[in-house]
Amino acid sequence: MRISWALALLLAFAGLVSNSAHAAGPVACRGKSGGAGNATEITAAFEKLGSLLDPQQKQALEHPFDYDNAIRWSNLPLGVVPRSGLRLGDLDAKQAAAARRVFVAALSACGLKLLDEIRLADDWLTTYDTRPIGWSGGNYFLSVLGTPGEATPWMLQIGGHHLAYNFTFNGHQPGATPLFFGTEPITFEYQGASYAPLDAQSTAMTRLASAIAALPQARLSGTFTDVVKGVVVSGVPGQMPTGGTDTGFPQSYPSGDHDRGVRVGTLPQEQRRLVRDAIESFTSFPGKSIATPLLAAYLDSKAFDETFVGFSGSPALGAKGSYVRIDGPRVWMELVVQPAIAHPENLHYHALWRDKQSDYGGEIRK
Amino acid sequence: MKRPGLTALLGLFGTIAGAHPAPNSQLRLEFKADVVLAEYWVPASELAYARAADPAGGFPAYLLRHVAAETQDGRPWQVVIGTVRESTYMDHDYLVAELRLAPPAGVPARDFVLVDDAVTHEVRNHVVFVTARHGEGAELLGALQYPARRLRITAP
Repeated sequence: MRISWALALLLAFAGLVSNSAHAAGPVACRGKSGGAGNATEITAAFEKLGSLLDPQQKQALEHPFDYDNAIRWSNLPLGVVPRSGLRLGDLDAKQAAAARRVFVAALSACGLKLLDEIRLADDWLTTYDTRPIGWSGGNYFLSVLGTPGEATPWMLQIGGHHLAYNFTFNGHQPGATPLFFGTEPITFEYQGASYAPLDAQSTAMTRLASAIAALPQARLSGTFTDVVKGVVVSGVPGQMPTGGTDTGFPQSYPSGDHDRGVRVGTLPQEQRRLVRDAIESFTSFPGKSIATPLLAAYLDSKAFDETFVGFSGSPALGAKGSYVRIDGPRVWMELVVQPAIAHPENLHYHALWRDKQSDYGGEIRK
Repeated sequence: MKRPGLTALLGLFGTIAGAHPAPNSQLRLEFKADVVLAEYWVPASELAYARAADPAGGFPAYLLRHVAAETQDGRPWQVVIGTVRESTYMDHDYLVAELRLAPPAGVPARDFVLVDDAVTHEVRNHVVFVTARHGEGAELLGALQYPARRLRITAP
């Protein structure tokens, strides 16, 4: 099995996650290994990393904070949508350890675990799908848009095929989104350990969908073959495809009561708890400084009551086209089940968290 | 005739684009003096969901139920479905329909409202990209995704 040994070695070398997924099996994401998402700490980690990079690497890492750079994330593999940024697979051990300190400063334990396991999943895929699609845990990238610090808005981007962290600091709003995450395979084995990178989120969404399934208005109309507010690819027959980045930003969202699911304010306490659990499972990835104000806005009693939850397909998320969505005054969270790519007889997840006010910190305009 | 290098590159991208399991539609418009010709690329996988919700008739009749054009003040254009063929693009199967959109008498064929929900009436994430043909290239004029089904089109 071709696994990114460099990635595993990096984690052992860095010594920053004692129970790393790569070194010793899966971790509980509520451990102590994650950081606070504090801009000052992330900035310090960036300064250390920058001191270890050559000019070409620094050029790959640093970009202006503008529309074109901000929307340059995708849920498609590198072979379809090339990425910019500092490629993690190209870093030497010291650089990789320094990059790891950026991740530790920015991400919660859950966010670190997701990053590690999604990269491992991409490595796992290379064994089964040898097409030049760009699977590889090395094909994940780190970028900074603008100047890290306390003075001006800037963005941290960490991403690759099935992950896009887009955190904005010093913006009009705290910005944790757009945050795309997915996994293929849904579960996999590596060195005797089992991984299910989206287990918490898919379980929370399944419990929610199952609880509301009997309510007629909870079932959304139509068919879902992907997330609704994700990236899309276009192309002219006979020519190369284009797009695949967040060109649809800013998005429009449903309004009114029609076909949005069931209003949380009408649900009994136990089902409201399931909605809260599902929201928290998505907001668990950034450090607390980033996530806490957003979570507070989503769980504010008035906003929470005005949030809708709906589903399509199988509430158990056991079949393609199964879909669950949380659609509030600000929050937009969706998870869909698609056929797998490397093993088409299997399934894989795509999930997306957007904030209707603070995607990109409310800082970019088309 | 395609250059060999481009052909090879497209073959490569055809393979890797199979990594996208939810292909989108493209409506390619060609503005003529008195009509608009269109080539509608509809992915078979996504169309299957839409046809399951509206199975009556053949594909041309189905398209006529879901695709229309009208003037800004609501007067209908004539829509004629021509040949329909099967093709593949980026590793996905497509139905490709030729359409002829003709404005009412005296109305220039440069500006109209496209009405289309051929796939989007059912598939919520599906996007229809509407482009204007420029030789082998294209200019994006707009896009439709549920619940939107009307798009103002102006010739570039």
